[in-house]
Amino acid sequence: MDWTRQLGRYVVVMLLQVLLFNQLQLWGLCHPYIYVMCLLMMPITLPHNVDMLIGAAVGIIMDVFCNSLGIHTASCILIMFIRPYVIGALVNDKDRLNEQITWRTLGPEVMLKYLTILVLIHHLTVFLLAAWSWAHIGFALLETLVSSIVTIIIIVGYNALKYK
Amino acid sequence: MQNLLKILLRYSNFLVFIALEVAAFLLLSYNNAYPRSSFLSTANNVIAWQHEQMSDISGYFSLRSQNEQLAAENAALRNQICSMDSVKIVFPMHYMNAKVVQMTTDEMHNYLTINRGSKDGVEPGQGIRNEDGVVGIIRTVGRNYSVVLPIINTYSNLSCRFSKNDYVGTLQWDGKDIRFAQLADVAAHMVVNPGDTIVTSGLSPVFPEGIPVGIVENSVLKEGASYHTIRVRLHTNFKRLKYVEVVQNAHQKELEELTDGLD
Repeated sequence: MDWTRQLGRYVVVMLLQVLLFNQLQLWGLCHPYIYVMCLLMMPITLPHNVDMLIGAAVGIIMDVFCNSLGIHTASCILIMFIRPYVIGALVNDKDRLNEQITWRTLGPEVMLKYLTILVLIHHLTVFLLAAWSWAHIGFALLETLVSSIVTIIIIVGYNALKYK
Repeated sequence: MQNLLKILLRYSNFLVFIALEVAAFLLLSYNNAYPRSSFLSTANNVIAWQHEQMSDISGYFSLRSQNEQLAAENAALRNQICSMDSVKIVFPMHYMNAKVVQMTTDEMHNYLTINRGSKDGVEPGQGIRNEDGVVGIIRTVGRNYSVVLPIINTYSNLSCRFSKNDYVGTLQWDGKDIRFAQLADVAAHMVVNPGDTIVTSGLSPVFPEGIPVGIVENSVLKEGASYHTIRVRLHTNFKRLKYVEVVQNAHQKELEELTDGLD
């Protein structure tokens, strides 16, 4: 029951990404990839390997919609690989987590740190792989910064609505 | 043996991570190689259909400007009929109209999807233009939809020439502004003036000669450089692209087979 609700929520987020946020064209700089929220909010109950496979699957789906085969896949696998280490570094007492990643269990400060680190890494990988040359690196970095800020704001907003 | 297994198990997460990333990079490099999978791209029926529905809805909001555009095109065509005998036919070209169902304009690797596919005779390598000028080249073909690599993609290379003296250069895009592209390989001894007209060269079978591309906005010759840095204002307005034409050359296969043997 809990898993089906979770899955339904992920489908909604993916649809929002594909139908709304992929169409956003703000100054050519802002491409918020809010779909990472699905991966970042996943409970930490599954084995690490399965986590990475789910990351790969979500990445491929995004790639098909963005005509960028491989870019989102590589980035999602990377964040799913480092996610447990980031949680481990941020949270001393893991039992407190109750295996759920939510604002309530993590606390707003840790949650914001967790989101910022992983969203930045994900966006940086996506834009660097898309630029694929040193000539465009400055632009890719700027793109990462702007898009990450917008993504984080949208994720915080979405969660604020959900827990109101 | 047991130790080896233990080590493998201990690092299994890392090994899975490496294996998955290698697979992702294989996909990435495969994606950049020439005919791409039409299933794993927006040429995929389901995804293109979704984009088509979206653009059908948004299409209502631009009906007026589309009408104006069609009227202008009609007028231009009528003018062309009047001067038909002066049209030079080099290649047997066939034009087919198509609708843009999806496109990006603010990335380095922009693509657009059109509602024509293999069932309409579209093949990779065919040219795409609209009434203003060159749009791009067909990259991936699905049954009902195709993905186009437009000239506003950093992968794009298009052979062009100055209409004033037939000097040939390569049109590329730097990923910054979709209104401007750059013309490379124009040697320093050439005199380039702002306002010079750039058209397709006709050296490849993709486009016939003389399709408008743009006009020179400005050109800089750096100290000691052997090539000009030329900025070309493109005729095609990619922000408002809605209808395009597929340029089909009946002799394209034959021409490509001939030149393929030379490399």
